[in-house]
Amino acid sequence: MGCGCGDCEKMMQPYMDGVLSEEQIREAQEHLARCPHCEKRYRFEVTLRRYVRVAVEEPIPDGLKQKLAGLRSAG
Amino acid sequence: MSESAPTAAETRRIAEEARDRVRFEEEALQLSDQVYRVARRLVASREEAEDLVQDTYARAFRSWRQYQHGTNLRAWLLRILTNLNIDRGRRVQRTPDQQPLEEGDYYLYNRLESAIPDENPDEERVLQRLSQNAVVEALADVPHDFRDVLVLVDIGEFSYAEAAQILDIPVGTVMSRLHRARRILKQQLADKALTA
Repeated sequence: MGCGCGDCEKMMQPYMDGVLSEEQIREAQEHLARCPHCEKRYRFEVTLRRYVRVAVEEPIPDGLKQKLAGLRSAG
Repeated sequence: MSESAPTAAETRRIAEEARDRVRFEEEALQLSDQVYRVARRLVASREEAEDLVQDTYARAFRSWRQYQHGTNLRAWLLRILTNLNIDRGRRVQRTPDQQPLEEGDYYLYNRLESAIPDENPDEERVLQRLSQNAVVEALADVPHDFRDVLVLVDIGEFSYAEAAQILDIPVGTVMSRLHRARRILKQQLADKALTA
């Protein structure tokens, strides 16, 4: 069951990005503390963002660092 | 004193400049992992990412004087990189630009959760439905104007203001594109996870 409040869904991403005002942050925190529906989705969003970052990570190819170092003025 | 002999002040200036340049180059090289990480997701292949990073460093080392010491070097390098990338029209475009259906921010969770037979599964379980490959492909399917912002903010961990500076667009545009980009990504993820 949802909390019926579309506002918290809209506030989720800005909340995670840390761009809300202090008052909005407090509101979001209070809401998350009493709404398991949004709280679960919040935890999912946080984990998802981290998961996306890790899943697309590819180490820098062998030898690229040396090639870049070779482009320096000193050669 | 002959005309060709440098004065002590000139010698000092030349030595200082050489030192600044070496310092700039070292600082830039230390950021190569982070620069590559972003580059890799802006283009389609490893080879293109390697080329793009090399061209970026070649240009950065040539125009190092334009960099103001003490400002954000990582953003400065990424600005060169995204400009080179946009100039070449090399950005990944696996699917034609479309106007995807706008779903809400909870869309992915709701769809994944409803595909799990258990009542009220925890969020870790829901996330397990997404393979690493699905994430890579879903990101590549986000139209490029949206993906550029998403990659800089969510993969490169740049702030809205830095992304705006790098892409030379207003902060408000970064925010609106990012908002849509995340929704599009989730929609792609839902499609991939649930049709796999």
